[in-house]
Amino acid sequence: MARTRSKGGATTTTKSASKSQSSAGTESRYTLPDESPNPPKIFILPRKATPEARVVSLLNPRYGKPTRYLVCPSTGVYEFTRIAAPKSTPRSWLIEHSTSSSTTTSNSELPSASQSEEKDKETTTTEKGQDEDEFGAYITKGAELFVATPVDPVFLVLPALSSSSAEEGGASNKKKKLFLSSDDHFDNLARGGQDALSPHLGEVLRWGNIRALFESRMAVVCDTVDAGDESMYRLSEEKLLAVLLDKARSMSTTSLPPSMEEKFVAKALEAPVLSVKRETPAAAPQASTETLASQSAVSTPKVENSESQSSVSSADTTSTTVSDASTAATSVAAAEEEAANSEAFELKPAIVASPEVISLQRLRTALSFILSSYVAPAQAARLREQLGARAELQAEFGPLDDYLGRVAALRQEAVAARSMADYSRKRVLDDEELAERAEKKRRKDEDDKRKKAGLSRGVKTLGKVNTSGMKKMSDFFKKK
Amino acid sequence: MLEARLDKANDLKKVVDAIKDLVQDCNFDCNDSGLALQAMDNSHVALVSMMYKAEAFSPYRCDRNIALGVNLVSLTKVLRAAQNDDVLTLKAEDAPDSLNLVFESSASDRVSEYDLKLMDIDQEHLGIPETEYAATITMPSGEFRRICTDLMAMSESVTIEASKDGVKFAANGDIGNGSVTLRSHQEVDKEENNIDIELTEPVSLTFSLKYLVNFCKAQPLSTRVKICLSNEVPLLVEYGLAGTSYLRFYLAPKIGDEE
Repeated sequence: MARTRSKGGATTTTKSASKSQSSAGTESRYTLPDESPNPPKIFILPRKATPEARVVSLLNPRYGKPTRYLVCPSTGVYEFTRIAAPKSTPRSWLIEHSTSSSTTTSNSELPSASQSEEKDKETTTTEKGQDEDEFGAYITKGAELFVATPVDPVFLVLPALSSSSAEEGGASNKKKKLFLSSDDHFDNLARGGQDALSPHLGEVLRWGNIRALFESRMAVVCDTVDAGDESMYRLSEEKLLAVLLDKARSMSTTSLPPSMEEKFVAKALEAPVLSVKRETPAAAPQASTETLASQSAVSTPKVENSESQSSVSSADTTSTTVSDASTAATSVAAAEEEAANSEAFELKPAIVASPEVISLQRLRTALSFILSSYVAPAQAARLREQLGARAELQAEFGPLDDYLGRVAALRQEAVAARSMADYSRKRVLDDEELAERAEKKRRKDEDDKRKKAGLSRGVKTLGKVNTSGMKKMSDFFKKK
Repeated sequence: MLEARLDKANDLKKVVDAIKDLVQDCNFDCNDSGLALQAMDNSHVALVSMMYKAEAFSPYRCDRNIALGVNLVSLTKVLRAAQNDDVLTLKAEDAPDSLNLVFESSASDRVSEYDLKLMDIDQEHLGIPETEYAATITMPSGEFRRICTDLMAMSESVTIEASKDGVKFAANGDIGNGSVTLRSHQEVDKEENNIDIELTEPVSLTFSLKYLVNFCKAQPLSTRVKICLSNEVPLLVEYGLAGTSYLRFYLAPKIGDEE
């Protein structure tokens, strides 16, 4: 609609109003200091890590990119998990470096091996006076928390073991993989496959008993041969699979983390309620896609992990994030809410999963999680194949597969039933939508009123004239 | 900068009155040749085209092409403040926010001045080719108006049939039917009553009477009206203004089913 052009003294023009506002808003009484190029980050470090622990870059076993790990010469390797508020609800940390609060955890000073700027962490010690000067109280906009948790070094050496085996396997089909000394394997690892290097591996191996630790873990998944005083290693996928299954079992004996439990175990096993027509089946189509995902290749966790990895690569100065817990947490929070809603109406699901089935699903979820976050994709695919081929494992998972088959069938029925009954359901508007609708109507009324004010009676009556059979003027005359 | 002085404010008043019932907002395009206007009604079946040439004003000055986006209802309100015989001066800057109108009474020394806010109007300009019409009828504008209003009582649409016998305006409606036939007619002492029919081939077209009646609101502008018809093209109704200035209306014919 055409608007009045004039600026001076016009009450209808929004332009002039906003202009005066913005001019008033530009000058603030307070000026903010420049953003620090290296904002402090908050780390939670394990108590048992010794003062000699360092943050180093090692190759991420899943993605083959340098990723930051905390390596302690005596207690092993720790990975960092980034915990952050979702983007939709931004938060900040207010970090205060006061000497009195430094006793909260008995953690020691820990300069990073690569960049000394990254040494800020949850605790500070009194001798770090220069840090205090540098930062004082600080507000950082990235409210991220980096939690260091132990990680099995076997995953870190896995790329070297499998890459050599993959190359050989490809070159001469089924040729026996070579036994290599641990040195050769570590060299492989330091070369890091293609272009990415594992920058600090050589250095790390010289620390304390790290080398011994790596070798001992390597032995667990490898066939070994003693050649003189040196041991030679060759990856055994059977052993690796056994190790992974063990890990998955220990992960699933107690229940999984609530978010995983909810999304991949409860949801996947949830059978639709057929007797109740309202509300409950609403979750069914969604849930069925989720099972498909978790059954076939656990695509959902894969996505989350790739997300976290992209954040690592984009901000190389930040520390590692191995699995982005936050994204999982938020998405699952929504799912939980939904589940709570549907529970209100839930009467009796068609079938209920037995404890055996639940624990099997947990095991499967745990295994998929490990495969999709710590094992390179190619290797993971190979392992999955083997998993499928092993008859005793198939037998073990038999009841679970049966159950999932039945659930899938029930869901299909539920979806079909729902689409039949769908026409009777009316969506209930919530307050926000109502308000939005009212606002729209008000604006339209206003517009109409303004239009009417500029409309002569003649134009109005002409609008009612029957113009059927009359062509538009633009059909006769061409546009200029 | 635009400055245009019109001896009689009434001339502009009549133009605006003639258009304001057809379109609500339109651009007056000013350039050094004069004031031009082209606009369509809301249904886009009728088009009004006005050319108020520079020589109709004294003086006329327009340095740069300016589009004056005007709401015609608002312009009518402002023009209502002018006496018919007032001298009207239009003024606008090069990129105007408003149009300045000054009415000077020649008898008493009264000067009224108004500023009309302008609007941005998106308008597409159509190129109207010069057309050789099959039939051209020139007649007293009052006569045309009377025919239209009379037939309006019978029907919504009128069929205009031009043949060598004359021009027949026929309306066929629910209560019955009626028609008016005009023949060529010359009056030596009263030339404005002449009816001239130029015909190259017979034509028969149907039009919406409501629109024609609407066009007739331009009748005060001129004693004569020119009606041009050709098959398959819009009807042209032209009222002459001072000099070679004109006000033209185009109306799409009704094709197919006639109620």
